[in-house]
Amino acid sequence: MGLENVLARLRAYVQESFLYMRPGFAVGDDESLFDKGVIDSMGIVELIGFLESEFSVAVRDDDVSEQNLGSLTSIARYVMVRRGNGGGV
Amino acid sequence: MCGLAGIARREARGVTVETLDRMAAALRHRGPDGYGRYGGARVGLAHVRLSIIDVAGGAQPLSNEDGRLWVICNGEIYNHVELRQELEGRGHRFQTRSDTEVLVHGYEEWGVRMLERLHGQFAFAIHDRQGDTVFLARDRFGVRPLFYSEQRGDVLFASEVKALFASGEVRAAPDLQGLDEVFTFWAARPPRTVFAGVQSLEPGCFAVWRDGRLRVQRYYTLAYPEARAESPNAVAELDELLHASVAERLRADVPVGGYLSGGLDSSITCALAGALTPHRLRTFSVTFDDPQLDERTFQQLVARELRTDHAVQAIGPGDIAAAFPEVVRHTETPLVRTAPAPMYLLSRLVRKQGIKVVLTGEGSDELFLGYDLFKETAVRMFCLRQPQSRWRPRLFERLYPYLDARGRRGDFWQRSFLDAGSPADPLFSHLPRFQLTARIKDFYSGEMRVETRGFDALAELRATLPAEFPSWAPLHRAAYLEMVTLLSPYLLSSQGDRMAMAHAVEGRFPFLDHRLFEFAARLPTGSKLRGLREKDILRRWAAAVVPQPVAERPKQPYRAPDVPAFFAPELVGYARELLDKRAVQDSGIFDPAAVAGLLGRCRKGAALGFRENQAFVAILSTQLWYQHFIDSTAPWRGATAPEPDIAVAERASAQG
Repeated sequence: MGLENVLARLRAYVQESFLYMRPGFAVGDDESLFDKGVIDSMGIVELIGFLESEFSVAVRDDDVSEQNLGSLTSIARYVMVRRGNGGGV
Repeated sequence: MCGLAGIARREARGVTVETLDRMAAALRHRGPDGYGRYGGARVGLAHVRLSIIDVAGGAQPLSNEDGRLWVICNGEIYNHVELRQELEGRGHRFQTRSDTEVLVHGYEEWGVRMLERLHGQFAFAIHDRQGDTVFLARDRFGVRPLFYSEQRGDVLFASEVKALFASGEVRAAPDLQGLDEVFTFWAARPPRTVFAGVQSLEPGCFAVWRDGRLRVQRYYTLAYPEARAESPNAVAELDELLHASVAERLRADVPVGGYLSGGLDSSITCALAGALTPHRLRTFSVTFDDPQLDERTFQQLVARELRTDHAVQAIGPGDIAAAFPEVVRHTETPLVRTAPAPMYLLSRLVRKQGIKVVLTGEGSDELFLGYDLFKETAVRMFCLRQPQSRWRPRLFERLYPYLDARGRRGDFWQRSFLDAGSPADPLFSHLPRFQLTARIKDFYSGEMRVETRGFDALAELRATLPAEFPSWAPLHRAAYLEMVTLLSPYLLSSQGDRMAMAHAVEGRFPFLDHRLFEFAARLPTGSKLRGLREKDILRRWAAAVVPQPVAERPKQPYRAPDVPAFFAPELVGYARELLDKRAVQDSGIFDPAAVAGLLGRCRKGAALGFRENQAFVAILSTQLWYQHFIDSTAPWRGATAPEPDIAVAERASAQG
């Protein structure tokens, strides 16, 4: 699975899970999900569950950071790395 | 404890017996033991009674010696014995043993200054026939409710809003700003309510109606004159105050029981009550199937050690959903949690077992800084003092140990607190909670967004803070906000008075004795939150009173299942109807498409976080509330009120 593919699934997931009640609200791939008010600290637990079930990656406690999970692009990159398709995290 | 209602008219055209009967009928659940009414030229009073003190002779309305003053009261005056002695010494003659009677003699003797002398939880109305006035008052912390509505110079008042509507003279319409406050603070902030034109008398206030005008005035102010250091006698003083408070709250002519959550506070009230009563104490708890919510191990431990006669209300699958419509009918407001529902079922059990009065531990967390919110505030201030520190924010991981550990790690969790607001903001302590709750507004309809645009619940709260507020320690500011935004309008009301009185059970709150509050408010904050150990002084004192594991047990918040309670596995029938697109559109508060999206997520089991759980409960309860109170096709409206089955006293003829 390529980066673009992962990104597309993430976009759909974020839309369905966190933005379904806010039609017309757009978030860019590189924008901070936290700063835009899309995901809060509770939403992270949900997001981690999704990454684990959808992409079969085990998210380590130490990986739960804005660097890895802060935007759609950073999450996609993180998933690629954890699936062994990219460089180190 | 009881229910009261009344009308005062600007013109002397009387209040019909039928009107008083309808208002009383709407409050019957609060007072199944008797009904009395008073009708005069301008004023009508109605009172449904739950008899606790002077069971045989305490029917209301009660008057003074010459029949000039008439009173109806909901609640208890705990120091009535001492006040009666003093008043008898000044020549007053009592006709009953009722605690309520001290109010008419006390008012005659001291006027409104009487309020300073009262120990208790009360809401009452005194009609002065000579002066043609009505005096309304509510206790210091808002244990007992009192609502009123001004209609062209007339004032209608009652223990519950439904009695105002039952009069036929107050129209039920939503107050959208009141609703917006519920979706910010968990409850509308008195005097505002969720009904347009209906006010709640603020705790610690009284109101005088004269010549068609109602003037509200405060007689008790929360203050935090913090001492520099803990007095060496502080623990002894606490011991004395707690014993005195519990002893006063055991004054009743019927047996008094105790709620037992398994936490420190209710263990204390039960331990003291057990020691101070000659008979074996009856205790009551709720248990949950979900081990994360259940506290039965601690409840059993305390019940065993205190040798109480313990009864349990198990909350099983389907119980919360089945009770929820009745819960909302009694709370008279939308809710953001289901937590009141188990309390509703618990009071039903208590009543079935023949108990009318229970002590509870409510108030301790506000007085002694027990909630996690206070720790959170302390950690946020600690981190913001050294923003560059890398290790200070690790303390956030120690907050909320009962939540999923992964959510509590890393910079997301830290930022959710650190970015919430500046310590310079008076609401600093509560901003994370207010912001989280306000996510419910993501589901607002377009119309609701337009209607509430320009209304800022937080700005209004800031504008009403007392002048001394900035001089208090940050944790005392937090405690004050907790008292005024959550304790009175939500915990003591939706989760307290309304759930207990739904089954005619009176809750009594030893921690909400004003002398105990004033003692706690004078303590340095470090005596209460020592490091991250909450209720420190209380724990030090309690070590010899409650079982050791309970004395040392960290605070476990009381919670109940939210979304899962309504799916078994399909959404329960009434919720399906009320959350249907058409029904959501009709009430107009929430957006039907957003609600449909939320339901889809709930069905999949994907709505796991606070955000969606609170939104689901808020939307469903709003729909129930709308159906019960606003929707004119709802079945209860216009129904003929039954004749009161016990007419205790019709002391004066009602005008037709």
